[in-house]
Amino acid sequence: MNRRSFLKTGVGGAVFLGTVSLTAGLSGCATAPAGRVSAVDSRMDASYRFRFLSKDDIALFEALLPAMFAGALPEEPNQRQFAVAATIERIDQGIVQFGAPNQKELRKLFDLLNFAPTRVTLARVWSDWPSVTTGEADAFLNRWRNSRIGLFNNGYIALSKIANVAFYGHQNQWHLTGYPGPQEWIVNVLPQFKNT
Amino acid sequence: MSMNDPIARGLAAGWKVTDASTLTSNQTAEADVVVIGTGAGGGTTAEILARQGLAVILVEEGRLYYQKDFKMDELTSYANLYQEGMSRTTADGAIAILQGRCVGGSTTVNWTSSFRTPDETLTYWSRQFGLDSLAPDAMAPWFQGREERHTMAPWQTDPNLNNDILRQGCEKLGYTWQVIPRNVKGCWNSGYCGVGCPTNAKQGALLTTIPGALDNNARMYHGLRAEKLVMNQDRIDHLKASAMGPDGVTPSGVTVTLKARHFVVAASAIGSPGLLLRSQLPDPHQRVGKRSFIHPVNATVARMPANVDPFYGAPQSIYSDQFNFSQGVDGPVGYKLEVPPLHPAMAAGVVPGHGPDQLADLSQLARMQSVIALLRDGFHEQSPGGTVTLRDDGSPVLDYPVTDYLWQGIRQAYLHMAEIQFAAGAEAVRAMHLDSTWYKTWAEAKAAIAELPMKPHRARLFTAHQMGGCSMGSNPEDSVVNGFGEHHHVPNLSIHDASIFPTSIGANPQLSVYALAARNSTRLAQKLTS
Repeated sequence: MNRRSFLKTGVGGAVFLGTVSLTAGLSGCATAPAGRVSAVDSRMDASYRFRFLSKDDIALFEALLPAMFAGALPEEPNQRQFAVAATIERIDQGIVQFGAPNQKELRKLFDLLNFAPTRVTLARVWSDWPSVTTGEADAFLNRWRNSRIGLFNNGYIALSKIANVAFYGHQNQWHLTGYPGPQEWIVNVLPQFKNT
Repeated sequence: MSMNDPIARGLAAGWKVTDASTLTSNQTAEADVVVIGTGAGGGTTAEILARQGLAVILVEEGRLYYQKDFKMDELTSYANLYQEGMSRTTADGAIAILQGRCVGGSTTVNWTSSFRTPDETLTYWSRQFGLDSLAPDAMAPWFQGREERHTMAPWQTDPNLNNDILRQGCEKLGYTWQVIPRNVKGCWNSGYCGVGCPTNAKQGALLTTIPGALDNNARMYHGLRAEKLVMNQDRIDHLKASAMGPDGVTPSGVTVTLKARHFVVAASAIGSPGLLLRSQLPDPHQRVGKRSFIHPVNATVARMPANVDPFYGAPQSIYSDQFNFSQGVDGPVGYKLEVPPLHPAMAAGVVPGHGPDQLADLSQLARMQSVIALLRDGFHEQSPGGTVTLRDDGSPVLDYPVTDYLWQGIRQAYLHMAEIQFAAGAEAVRAMHLDSTWYKTWAEAKAAIAELPMKPHRARLFTAHQMGGCSMGSNPEDSVVNGFGEHHHVPNLSIHDASIFPTSIGANPQLSVYALAARNSTRLAQKLTS
């Protein structure tokens, strides 16, 4: 399906995404929650249990985050790997609280990006995500951001928003924004901060 | 936990509060009145009815969070205290919806702005919808009563710089500005209202009407979702509700049946029409879910020459109504100008972008200042509002098409906000729009904003105020309830929240909800006790 025929689907966009999700599941894409990813896969300790993201989704974010946070991730390889993995865990935690309806929408989006035929035609990403370079990931994000098709803009906003919030919103990255955190004089006297 | 906290103290003293996630078997309970929702409307209703000696059961889908949980942290608060973990949007994803989902509802997470319903709005309602009894003079004592109950007063402390820049810009340009009344008692000026007040200063439902109701023997279930109002003949017989599991979002399978003489729905402008639709209550003119309003919000961000620290200090203390009613109540769309707080997760979610550009923008957070415009929707035939419908799984969703009439207002608002920021000394201003760059001068901004495509997704839009969907009016053919929130077709059902507003308010709505709920609950209490 090329871009023009996708456009022609018009209001059928949502229905179309639903079909992709079903097809992706049947064709062997990993759509089940990844659970505990082994220490080798995630390159960090596997204490976290994924409740929404599948192994393919994790690979997708491992490819996208270096482009999303170019210049913001640590240079040192271990620290960099840790920052990416921790952000993906927080993305999973956040999505669990989204509840069933929005999880269903995200399932469609992630399946569309993970299912090779739609990844190629709609995202125009030729290789599977583990082989995608940071430059290619950045080009994909810009294509969807600058597209004249609202559905792609929406996909870009969804991906960048959940990643941005999970990354810049966490204490480990506050230094990048110059946010000092809650005022110390308040934290020091409030009961809820005692003994934690 | 400190026993200075009124919630901790009340729980220890034996308040009848049930965390539905702890229930292991189905159960049934009965009261005089079941109140669905614990926000501005539900809390007020429960307190007033319970004080009259009526047996009240409160039902809340979100969980009970209070001071011990309010640790000034964005990520946990957005996940736990907001609808759909802060991911709620309109049906097409183009408008982000900020709405509370916890005991106290949105009053637990709002920025404390406390405005009376503008006279222009009340007068318009009386003229258009036959709501003469809501005229400004008749409503004044109800506003005054609620201002006292929630300790609302104009903010006496100096505004933080984020708000003062709005004041400075308006001063320079000769635009009006005013100080915002806030519902706080002993506020520490921390800036963390949006993540649950850490100091118990905010006088939202959580620290006023909910304790008031529980002190008067009301029972509250939290983590319990109202699924369906079940009719027997022409009256509602019971509410079917399902318990959420420990994560707060996944049903555990346990159901609770609640019987009562009267039912009050106060589940928000998205939740209330959703519940009525799921229940398939009589709706002969198909009015439920229609005329949903949101005060569509757009924003500009300025980079100031010195630090603004927009994350600290009372989040909203200055506003401008220069453009709200200036072209008449029903002319081109009016808008109120206010300021949002900017914490890193919020800013990173609102400023659209990725890569080095996003880092460059967010690294300036301390010097950022933002202005927002709240469009007064629903006062014009080209602003008919959106529609709440049900998804396949029964959950409600709001479809809100942005009309050309509204787009014109959105563009005007971008222009006025940028003009104000430059007048206040901004180095650069950016519209929150995918096609906006940083503009270095007002002249550049003016020319560029005039050319920005006004399209969904490209313009970043938000709503923190959901209204309508169960409109009140004197004519049952175009409304769901009458001017007292009484359902036109079901005698033992009332609706006491923002869903009954027939238009948007033209100001932050919490006081409008409190006041109408107080008025309508006082009448309901008289009826039920006589």
